Amino acid sequence: MAKYLLRRFIQLVVVTAIISVLVFLLVHLLPGDPTTIILGANDTAHNRAVLLKQLGLNKPLVQQYFIWLRSVLHGNLGQSYLNHQPVTQILAEGWPIDLELIIISQILAFAVAIPLALLTSRKPNGTVDNVSTTGTFGMLALPPFVIAPVMVAVFAVGLHWFPATGYVPFTQDPATNLHDMILPSLAITAGSIAVYYRLFRSDLISTLQEDFITMARSKGLSSRWIMWRHAFRPSSFSLLAAAGVNIGALIAGTFIVEYLFALDGLGFSLVNAVQQRDYLVVQGITLVIAVVYVLLQFIIDFFFTVVDPRVTRE
Amino acid sequence: MLGAAGAGAVADLTASGTSYASTSTSGKAKPGVGTGTPVRGGTLIVGVIAEIDGFYPGTAHWDTNGFNYANAIFDPLMAVAADGTTQPYLAQSMTSNATFDTWTMTLRPGIKFSDGSALTSAVVLANYNALKASALTGVALDQVASVTAPDDMTVVYKLTGPNPTFPSGLTTQVGYVVGEAMIEQATAHPNTAPTPIGTGPFIYTSWQPNDHFTATRNPNYWRKGLPYLDQITFKPIPDTTQRESSLRTGGVDLIQSVDPSTITNFEGSGGSGFQLVTTATGVIGQPSFSFIMLNTAVAPTNDLTIRQALAYGMDQAEIQKVAGGPPAKPATGIFLPGSPYYSNTHYPTYNPSKARALVKAYKAKHGTPVVNLLTVPVPLDIKIVQALQQMWEEVGFTITLSEVQQATIIDDFVLGNFQAVTSYQFGAVNPDLNYVWWSTTTVSPVGKIGLNFTRLEDPVIEAAMLKGRHATNQSTRVAAYRTVNEQLAKQLPYLWIEQYIYSEVGDSRVQNFANPTLPSGKPQYRFDQGIFVPTQIWLKS
Repeated sequence: MAKYLLRRFIQLVVVTAIISVLVFLLVHLLPGDPTTIILGANDTAHNRAVLLKQLGLNKPLVQQYFIWLRSVLHGNLGQSYLNHQPVTQILAEGWPIDLELIIISQILAFAVAIPLALLTSRKPNGTVDNVSTTGTFGMLALPPFVIAPVMVAVFAVGLHWFPATGYVPFTQDPATNLHDMILPSLAITAGSIAVYYRLFRSDLISTLQEDFITMARSKGLSSRWIMWRHAFRPSSFSLLAAAGVNIGALIAGTFIVEYLFALDGLGFSLVNAVQQRDYLVVQGITLVIAVVYVLLQFIIDFFFTVVDPRVTRE
Repeated sequence: MLGAAGAGAVADLTASGTSYASTSTSGKAKPGVGTGTPVRGGTLIVGVIAEIDGFYPGTAHWDTNGFNYANAIFDPLMAVAADGTTQPYLAQSMTSNATFDTWTMTLRPGIKFSDGSALTSAVVLANYNALKASALTGVALDQVASVTAPDDMTVVYKLTGPNPTFPSGLTTQVGYVVGEAMIEQATAHPNTAPTPIGTGPFIYTSWQPNDHFTATRNPNYWRKGLPYLDQITFKPIPDTTQRESSLRTGGVDLIQSVDPSTITNFEGSGGSGFQLVTTATGVIGQPSFSFIMLNTAVAPTNDLTIRQALAYGMDQAEIQKVAGGPPAKPATGIFLPGSPYYSNTHYPTYNPSKARALVKAYKAKHGTPVVNLLTVPVPLDIKIVQALQQMWEEVGFTITLSEVQQATIIDDFVLGNFQAVTSYQFGAVNPDLNYVWWSTTTVSPVGKIGLNFTRLEDPVIEAAMLKGRHATNQSTRVAAYRTVNEQLAKQLPYLWIEQYIYSEVGDSRVQNFANPTLPSGKPQYRFDQGIFVPTQIWLKS
């Protein structure tokens, strides 16, 4: 297993290095002189000289890359040219929102999808299964930008149970924070529930038809024991893979929800920066997201080895 | 107070209406006007449309949101009164010589900035020098030949020519005064955000872009007893529906909107318990308009035939319907009926056959005209550009669409990086304030900073704008600005959509958000282009 993980780690380092080059080249792919775009109306000779020096754009490209990489490794990702906010500050303010949205939504998604799949897989095509399958079809068809306004209209404006917008950091007021984050989290939970439920149900049904399950049944083991002890683990392989991809996509992928609920998360900051052509912010956030994504996949790979040790024998 | 010569001239030449459209949705009280004795304390949370790009007047692009943030922590030298006259604010008086080419300002004594430094003529001079040196704001001060500070409290502006309405320019971004330390910081470190230092009713506390800006009560504010609020927080909520929901659920106390649907949503029973104020009527001077701006320096919109084809191919009434809200009047220029400057401009009316013929003529010479229509990612704007795309493609154009953020689109305007773009502008108490947008002196090549965004070099407009600026009688001014309006309809750098209406909705606790007074006690022009003054707002307990 150690050899397998080491090989995965080396791949991780290579992928991260490639990502860093691509992200670095982002600014250089801009048509024309990036300083003109970055400075805009403040494009004076003095400001241009300062910026060229700041960005190291007056040096050869390879040298520029290593200067930039050294800055990144020292925690300096540059600053927004629009409001001069350091990128590290934007990340520091944004990541707790993304993290919280992901944690809450994924806990809710697993809490609904797993028990539901366990229940329906026992009697495929039964009433409960048919209703659940149809329901999750509907959930897949309802994107967050449809669910969010409906939830706001019902639970915020209509029933006054939750606020329509607002965010208080968890460290400041945990109760208010959780209260504020319920609606945004629910808005992105539906899609995850549908994906997790359908995958897990399908794998469970397939596993329950395996010979070793028949053997367990013939030994007179209880259905609950068979489900939890014998069927659950081999069926969770696809679920784990899907969760890895899904959680990765949710890192900064919750833009619509953050936009609608006025949450200043990474997704909102990234899309704003793209639209405002705030290239250093785009560069910084993209790099961090990519690295986190790669790390996440590494962690998922590790979990695969726990769930199914056969993967280390490839 | 203004000196005799200046006061009379400014009052006569800029005022043209003072009433407001406002809808009482919570009883008999006038919306936005406080009733009862003001109460001190509380925090006002304002849901704003977009984030700003900074506080420093020399580099930031202040739109309505920018001025609202600025009004919390800075004060202007001059302000517009409800009767349309320009009145002193940080200034105590502003007087001109007989020929209106020298203006002398006396500052109010005893005013301190939030860092404890005093407001003196040297500070005003330092502000002027910084603004004049700025590529962004310098051009707005082109008519000023020199500024001197003969003593601690006196500032003398010498102009390049007579201008009876010069003080109105000091009600804009170049009239806001910041502390010298802020200027020094901005100059020494142009790529960092300077800490805002102002004389305003509130003191800068924190700003987390795209999340909130908070300012707390200035305990030493020079207007005694003010402000009433302990704190004011601005929260950008870009989605209009969500902003409205936040108001309805108590997440914010006051919202701003430029979406006509807000008026519909808060008029009548939908607005029960809320106060709605709009700029639908009674604007002083020029209202803001929404329009499609065409770049006259890049192909194919540099061709008048193409601009005419676009104008004839645009069904203004249909676009107004797409925009939603209350029925709008036809827009044919920069003034509305009722303004002394309004005239029949002969602006093209919808005629698809004529548009098709013009496109055909162009196509024969240059091929199919392809126009990129740029906009901001606002649902309303996107609806409008999609409708326009359909209309213009029906008459033979190929239209591509693209989007950039509001805070960035201004750079495209300034650098001329567009062919056609949705925009709104021109609200001004004095038409002379729009000189920089139409002057031949502010045209630059594409890629270089130019405040004449359309890059239309029209000597007729230039001459008329200067004539209007220097005119000392109303009939000459009226004739000059009518010429400007008619010439814009001929050259078509703008395709008008409708008057751009700002609305502001407060919950029933928010008092006086549309009822400010000047330091002299005179009523102040409220809600000018959606901009409010937070100094006298208070919250009913």
